[in-house]
Amino acid sequence: MSEQMTLGSMTELLKPWTVASRPVSDTRLEVETTAANIVPAVGALKTAQWGFLSAITGLDNSAAVKADSGTAAASGAAPAHNGGGFEVLYHFCRGPSVLTFRVKLPREAPTVPTLSAVVPSALIYEKELAETFGVTIEGIPDRRRQFLSDDWPTNLYPMRKDFSPGSAEGLAQAAPVAVAEERRGTLGTFIVPIGPQHPALKEPGHFELTVDGETVTHAAIRLGYVHRGIEKGAEDRSWIHNIYLMERICGICSHIHSTAYVLGVEKLAGTAVPPRAQAIRTIFAEMERVHSHLLWLGVAAHEAGFDTLFMYSWRDRETIMDLLEEISGNRVNYSVNLLGGVKYDIDAKGTDSLRRGMDFLEKRTRHYLKIVTNDESFLRRTRGVGNITFEQANLLGTVGPTARASGVSRDLRVEAPYLAYADFPVKTVLDTRCDLEARFIVRINELFESYRLIRAILEKLPPGDLAVASPRRVPAGEVISRVEAPRGELFYFIRSGGGVKPDRVKVRTPSLCNWAAVLSVAVGHKLADIPMIMVGIDPCFSCNDRSITVRRRGSDERWTWEELRRYGISYYGGDA
Amino acid sequence: MNVVLAIVAMILFPGGLFVIVGSLAYEYVDRKLVARFQNRVGPRWFQPLADLVKLLVKEEIVPAGVNRGLFIWLPVAALAAAFTAALYIPMAGFPPTWGYRGDLVVTVYLLMMMTLCIGLAGANTTDRFSIVGSTRALTQLFSYEAPFLLALLGPAIAAGTWRISEVNGYARENMWMIVTQPLGFLVALIGLMGKLELPPFDAPEAETEIVSGALTEYSGRGLAFFRLGRDVELLVGLTLISAFYLGGLANPLQFVLKTIGLLFITAALQSLFARLRIDQTVGLWWRAGAVLALVQLLILIGLKSLGVHL
Amino acid sequence: MGKQKVPGVFRSALDKAALWSRINSPWLVHFNSGSCNGCDIEILATLAPRYDLERFGVKLQGSPRHADVLICTGPVTRQARDRLLRTYEQMPVPKFVIAVGSCSISGGAFHGCYNIVGDVGDVIPVDVYIPGCPPRPEAIIDGVVQLLQKLKPPRVARVVARVSGGAP
Repeated sequence: MSEQMTLGSMTELLKPWTVASRPVSDTRLEVETTAANIVPAVGALKTAQWGFLSAITGLDNSAAVKADSGTAAASGAAPAHNGGGFEVLYHFCRGPSVLTFRVKLPREAPTVPTLSAVVPSALIYEKELAETFGVTIEGIPDRRRQFLSDDWPTNLYPMRKDFSPGSAEGLAQAAPVAVAEERRGTLGTFIVPIGPQHPALKEPGHFELTVDGETVTHAAIRLGYVHRGIEKGAEDRSWIHNIYLMERICGICSHIHSTAYVLGVEKLAGTAVPPRAQAIRTIFAEMERVHSHLLWLGVAAHEAGFDTLFMYSWRDRETIMDLLEEISGNRVNYSVNLLGGVKYDIDAKGTDSLRRGMDFLEKRTRHYLKIVTNDESFLRRTRGVGNITFEQANLLGTVGPTARASGVSRDLRVEAPYLAYADFPVKTVLDTRCDLEARFIVRINELFESYRLIRAILEKLPPGDLAVASPRRVPAGEVISRVEAPRGELFYFIRSGGGVKPDRVKVRTPSLCNWAAVLSVAVGHKLADIPMIMVGIDPCFSCNDRSITVRRRGSDERWTWEELRRYGISYYGGDA
Repeated sequence: MNVVLAIVAMILFPGGLFVIVGSLAYEYVDRKLVARFQNRVGPRWFQPLADLVKLLVKEEIVPAGVNRGLFIWLPVAALAAAFTAALYIPMAGFPPTWGYRGDLVVTVYLLMMMTLCIGLAGANTTDRFSIVGSTRALTQLFSYEAPFLLALLGPAIAAGTWRISEVNGYARENMWMIVTQPLGFLVALIGLMGKLELPPFDAPEAETEIVSGALTEYSGRGLAFFRLGRDVELLVGLTLISAFYLGGLANPLQFVLKTIGLLFITAALQSLFARLRIDQTVGLWWRAGAVLALVQLLILIGLKSLGVHL
Repeated sequence: MGKQKVPGVFRSALDKAALWSRINSPWLVHFNSGSCNGCDIEILATLAPRYDLERFGVKLQGSPRHADVLICTGPVTRQARDRLLRTYEQMPVPKFVIAVGSCSISGGAFHGCYNIVGDVGDVIPVDVYIPGCPPRPEAIIDGVVQLLQKLKPPRVARVVARVSGGAP
């Protein structure tokens, strides 16, 4: 059934709750509905088992009232502004199709009911909406802040158009505001001092685990330690300037962020990017995937107490870092993308180095696969641990290798090819065992796919220009850009008001999707398994964070990640 | 032994200053060798001294909630025990400063004090993780200290004495016991490496050198004392094993050659196994070490009772 | 907090020895205050055997209590600010701070964003800033060496006085 047909049937299905329905393109459908109807509408979608909730975008239309342009062909008709109110967009994705529910809300007291009863993973997105836009979410089960700090003043919503970061200076001095916190279960006092900081990419972060003896009975997450206010910052920077901002959302997956962004803007502007540029972008995307997976392999091995593998994989990773540097001039933040193409070319020497690099890495990766599937102590910690069933993965909206290791075939490079993936297809790497071991195997096998793909593209690199000109003002319109980052689906929503700066850039990182899965899977597992379960989804550390509160029988212990890691290792007799 | 000589022995040689200098030197050699094996440049010769002085002049923060007396005196006790052990062994190839029947057992006990103090230090904190570290340190008592003691008993039984200087003498006169009691040698060496938490017999993390987090709360002087104590243990341990298994120590030259030779082997083991890291083997060791040592002893006792001269 | 003793301000020879030891044995603790990880990756690379910072006596410690130098990345988000401060306070004197990356100088690419403080120096006193996005391992090594060279007697005394002077 073609995508158009499935979308068409959805239009039918959702008729009872639809105010207006608008097919934006072959793969995009917008259904306008009301706050009262959103829950049943989504319910119907769920019953039909259509797609998963990929992101929730908040929009403040007050500044956009005057802008209204006709063109923006790629993204379809410009949205009808409701005279300065808010809008909440719920994006459901299935393969290449995106179904967006639009709910218009008045400026005063904007309220929507929570979707979390129907779609558990919605909770985190709704909180973001509530904290940054001030939209009230009715029926939300827990009121604690996720993204903004507890001492951020109430009634100050940074994503609203009337908030300007300049006023943040005063905020730096703001006295902490008492926040009524809903605590489930036990009472307790915090033990305040933060324990040892650990070097290896462990960052500030917060999980809360309630344990009964050895078993975890409840897990909660507190994000926001790396919340910098990027989406707001994007509205203040030109289209070109934003490339460099988006790149730095994450140092590990910087290229894919910038790629998602430029692809979106190019669609809005109607820019036809030369095939050579797309191919080079693809090579970099795959190189980034390689470096990211090798990094993860080392870190995951380290979590399991298997430091040899950690050291080996990081040493081998230097090969790909050198390759990246050879071609782009930088090991991290390669800045390959321009609006309209790429900056760097891959010449004969680069091609040669790449080929040799891929050969070397492939040999090493075979070695790792053997270790991961054969080493006893390693398997003890991964086989049969941290199972996320196929149904759970689907329901909780997991993406990336985490989903693929549970048999959920989600890979945007295959489902909705972008860049050069249509000409150079990838194979979806699936595993049905659903456990941690599967997650290792999926990522290692993806490495093989990446090596193969890079070689294939080098074989047939299209000739031609590296870039074409791109307009300074991007025509008004909305666009959704979805790409497959090493961790899963990366979702960008970009709106232009026709000016030199974007009106709205919404970024939904893949790790955010996967936390819901981890938190629900954590319950019932042993405390000692938690480090491995968490690292199994390959949390992009700068999209999220990591220190732990363990609650036992009425008292809270503040653990550091390092302590939890060692606990896990010694529990499994790692010392022995 | 008159008082003046005794004081000189304790402060200058072979105790006190000599032991400090020697320990720092050996720490340097160990780290340098390991670095070289890993193809790195490694530290400068004065590095252990710099580390020590820096820690001594650094502020010591006594965490709230701990027993202050214990916190301050445990490191001192550990170091004192290590220094005292140095006085019973043929340091630098010279006869031990003090000796009496049974001093072998006393020495091993003194060496064990270090681990005990670390264990207690870890328990004496409010840092929950230090307690885990201390438990682990104390578990080591069974896994490494015990085999180490048993392995030293072997040569003692062969020599028919509990006195270190006599065992040393016996070792000088007879075939190297590394040949006649190879199992014992292996157990002793690995036992020592385990006591000192040298890879691959350490806790699985490579970043922290300090004993399993038990010393997390220490910052200045206390940390300096514990670290120095460990270095002294290295020196004393190497001396004992060379004296017993490598044909005794008769003079300073033999001392240097044999102990450095052993150090070379431990450095090689540290680097080699850091790469191979066959976890099963290490796991086995914890159970097998003591058994191996016992087996060696049984063989020894059996042979001796049959009148075989070793 | 424990009593803060002002070390080695008395006799000149002891002073010199203390200073020498600090220059030659700088132990690091690392803190990420909201960085994108780019700088953290490069710091790790610097500490890895490839560049072998052990040559300079540099060692990475897990605990602030064992460290002399706090190496900090990131633009200091609001949530991270308190924890940064606490980490710094846990370090015994004398202590120094190296801020790595453009973000820790001015917020870098995120300058002007609402949830960041921007300059690590606004939270804790910084001794060396290493610019770059991210700085190469060689640049980081250069920064560390510069810090060590900065450790002259007047500097140490000022640091110690500032820290202990403000303490209760």
